[in-house]
Amino acid sequence: MKCVRKTVKADVPSVAMGDIAFLLLIFFVILARAEDDSHLKWQPANIPKVENLGNSEVSVLINDDHKVFLNGAQIGIDQLSALISKRLENKGTGARKVRLKAHDTAPASIFEPVIEAISAAGGELEHVLEETLEQK
Amino acid sequence: MNLRRRSKLLVEPPAVATGDIAFNLIVFFLVCVSVSPDTGRKQDIPKAEPKKEEKDQTKPTEVSIGRGAVLINGNAVTVDDFEAKLTSALRTKDASASEIRSMSDANRIVVVSTKDDKNTPYKLWIKVTATIERVGGIVTLQLEEERTVETD
Repeated sequence: MKCVRKTVKADVPSVAMGDIAFLLLIFFVILARAEDDSHLKWQPANIPKVENLGNSEVSVLINDDHKVFLNGAQIGIDQLSALISKRLENKGTGARKVRLKAHDTAPASIFEPVIEAISAAGGELEHVLEETLEQK
Repeated sequence: MNLRRRSKLLVEPPAVATGDIAFNLIVFFLVCVSVSPDTGRKQDIPKAEPKKEEKDQTKPTEVSIGRGAVLINGNAVTVDDFEAKLTSALRTKDASASEIRSMSDANRIVVVSTKDDKNTPYKLWIKVTATIERVGGIVTLQLEEERTVETD
């Protein structure tokens, strides 16, 4: 008598592929957010006319508690110039943009030294602002 | 006796696709989040350099912000009048120029200072400096000088 052996298919389960992709994506999103300042609370100042700003690798934020953050990490004003210089190393004109996101009520004692530090590091200063809404 | 055999088919959505649906949803929301770019304005702040003693140097226009008031060369002006008063202050530097932007850089320099009130809010400062640049002036910051005082 001839016995037919049952063959068992050994496949990688395709059901899990989507889940793996999903977890990988979450992993990279969390990594990216480590250099992000979107979780910080601040209110931009208003001016009548604004322009669209391009991309910038360096962002300095003064939050509503008047604390200073460089790319999402809190730092002291004294360290700011050296850290910006380090990030702008080997970058030419046009690529040395430094974005300043200052809370609208931040005092001059905070934002002026920040502007001075950006200038001393050779950064091209860009203020992040909102357009004043026209009153009807 | 009529016996009908019922065939029960299991009908459920394919589980294979759920991961892909989640993936596509995340991509969609990420794209939605990243479409709003930052808006604002660029500002050229001259780099601090050691001051040279020059006798013929013209005195730059000074704007002082503090305690809710703005001073142009020591004269108080309201924020609404600031643009007109600054324009006339810059014009006196070089009457021959047809417009402020055609004047030399030295005559267009406006020194902005907050030494009278270090609590000057950023929104007032940005309003004043934006007006200076709109008029054609070149913004320069006057920062506090550091001095070492030795005591016995």
